[in-house]
Amino acid sequence: MDDHLIGVLSNIGVMSFLALSAYLLLLTGEISFGQQAFFAIGAYAAGIRTALWGWPLFAALAWGAFAGALAAVLVGLPTLRLHKLYFAIATLAFAEMVRILFEMWRYQVSIDGELVGPNGADGFRGIRSVFESNIDPVQYLALIYGLLAATLAGFVWLERSRLGVTFRMIGQDAELAELGGIAVRRCKVLAASLAGALAGIGGGLYAHLTTYVEPRIFDVMLGVHSLAYGLIGGLGTAIGPILGVVLDIGILETVRVFAGYRMIVFGGLVAILLIWCPRGLLDEKAMHGMHMRLWPRRSFRTPPSAVETSP
Amino acid sequence: MMPALFSLTLVAFALAGREAAAQSRATADVSCQPADAALHYDCTIRLGDARSKAPLAGAAVSVGADMPSMPMAHNVRPAKATPAAEPGVYEVRLALEMHGDWALRIDVSGPLRDRVVVPLRFDDRAVHPSPSRAAPHRGH
Amino acid sequence: MIDVVQNTLDGVMIGSSYALLALGFTLIFGVMRRLNLSYGPTIMLGAYLGTLLYVQGGAGPATVAAATVLGAAVVGVYVERLCFAPMAAGAGIASMVSSFAIWMQLEQAAILILPRHTYAFPPLTTAAPLTLGPFLVRLDHAAMLAAAAALAAAVHLVLHRTRFGLGLRAIVGNATAAHLVGIDVRLSTLAAFALASAVGGAAGYLVLTVDQQVTPMFGMWATFKGLIAMMLGGLGSIPGALAGGLVLGVIEAQAQWYFGPQIRDFLTFAVLFLVLVVRPTGLMGEAPSADAAAPGRA
Repeated sequence: MDDHLIGVLSNIGVMSFLALSAYLLLLTGEISFGQQAFFAIGAYAAGIRTALWGWPLFAALAWGAFAGALAAVLVGLPTLRLHKLYFAIATLAFAEMVRILFEMWRYQVSIDGELVGPNGADGFRGIRSVFESNIDPVQYLALIYGLLAATLAGFVWLERSRLGVTFRMIGQDAELAELGGIAVRRCKVLAASLAGALAGIGGGLYAHLTTYVEPRIFDVMLGVHSLAYGLIGGLGTAIGPILGVVLDIGILETVRVFAGYRMIVFGGLVAILLIWCPRGLLDEKAMHGMHMRLWPRRSFRTPPSAVETSP
Repeated sequence: MMPALFSLTLVAFALAGREAAAQSRATADVSCQPADAALHYDCTIRLGDARSKAPLAGAAVSVGADMPSMPMAHNVRPAKATPAAEPGVYEVRLALEMHGDWALRIDVSGPLRDRVVVPLRFDDRAVHPSPSRAAPHRGH
Repeated sequence: MIDVVQNTLDGVMIGSSYALLALGFTLIFGVMRRLNLSYGPTIMLGAYLGTLLYVQGGAGPATVAAATVLGAAVVGVYVERLCFAPMAAGAGIASMVSSFAIWMQLEQAAILILPRHTYAFPPLTTAAPLTLGPFLVRLDHAAMLAAAAALAAAVHLVLHRTRFGLGLRAIVGNATAAHLVGIDVRLSTLAAFALASAVGGAAGYLVLTVDQQVTPMFGMWATFKGLIAMMLGGLGSIPGALAGGLVLGVIEAQAQWYFGPQIRDFLTFAVLFLVLVVRPTGLMGEAPSADAAAPGRA
């Protein structure tokens, strides 16, 4: 396989975690501009574990997920009862705080006569566990997609489960859900921690893919992108955010022809798409339509959340 | 059940090739000059072995680039670097998409397998190492 | 003590431009109930137009100012037409994300106009600073404060003494009711956008004359400052936006003096976060009502 293609596919895989992270929160009705903070925390946490402490890759990734989840709970608790828009801006503020903290933080250890570790704004280089373990690009790609497939399996289960319905109910109308006896706060914290874990795994994978991370990568651009993926691909299914990533990175690769005009074309395409499908390509209506066509006589347990936009 | 099994198999395959090898790392010294075409740069890369400090000759080197401020948005297609006369020195021409801060991704394979990332600021007149990115006055 | 007062002076002056940025942001939010993530880049594109005239045509400050303000207004109209007007009432998130996509578009457009990383921006004045007792007052800062005050007063006049302003305030209060009494909501919204972008353009111009340089980072920076100042002062409140801007300026000036630029930036966001958690309505805002502030379920 062409090296460049492997690289692009790996990028798609890694970003899918971030997209799914924002999507999960969106299901419960929370707009987060800050998932990139947990992505960053996962990246640094996993990178430090392998590069400085010599942990094996898998353990480091798990640690990154845990760190992401923990941070998400820490920021989720005080912001729990915030109104949607305030929550969105609070996540933005939090993410920038995290990024600036990484810019100021130095944690370097001397290994083999060289300083290794995060060096503030100059970044964290030398996350070479993948190279040291002789994992070649195709194998790493398989690892990324293996984890992604497991995650998707989890989402499929979620969509059919009571918890998934609960999440969507909270997303539709939190007060009504509360009146119906749902522990809204607990569910929101749960969703936040899962989303944080997802972003954390993505971050760990990203750090080991590129071997170099710096705080600037995890800015608000990345955060809004993660939200945009779900909006573009569709909020009706977990495949939606992944489709969004594929379209974004895929279109960016093809629109290369336009060299200096790529963003102009791409930005315009997204804006036009959103006029047409404000909840993305695979939105709830589309998914409902697909369900009816594929399984016309089957009664499914998960009611599609049909969001009617006002006329 | 099936998706879980499938994914676990993929992961197992991925980890199959692991051997903890105490491999040496590569060091890269990069200097670039603007070339004749706009946004094209000619770069000279000096590769060395981090442990033995010797120049790294006979490696297959490909150079890609990405902008840290917008990860994966400006992913430049990797270009193969050609060895120059001096051992351990390779030359490559990069076609970037805009001026600003880029992180060059130098993938080395051959005697040593490694990836070295070098952040540089590309301007229309010169290329310098990225300035310290601590926020300047007012941050813009 | 002297430092604290000096910093407060400086902070108020710089904060006046933040106040203008917040003012523009609030105007848009007030009528649309949505965040415009393209606000900063809109201003930046106007500023780049001004810079282009300066760098290639040697234009004077007045021309650059006019170009910046008009350019921003035109781009603002473009953003409104593409990201906000066509969206149905419930599609709040979609329009925010759309405005983000356009943000990327505008940034690229700016870089196409002026490809280098930094460009000089003409200053308003290069005279020496004034000394008032133990305090130093930079003339360009003072000019910024004066211009910002004048602009804020002008916007106030428009809002409270013109028919158009009355219509805007009605829409801010209750868009449906305004529509029912015959106000052309769509046209007024468009005009509000243009006005807000023009105000933002003026704010951007003032900031850049002090900095005397412009970079492609300016767009994101301006959006952040406007957003933070607006939230500090209280979402949707115009006096709040002005107060928030001044407060932000002072906080930044003190933080920068005592702790340096990184901690200054950290503190800015930390204050925002704390305000949101403890008192989301900011200094002067009102609690969001059920129909109003919600950006919709997308």
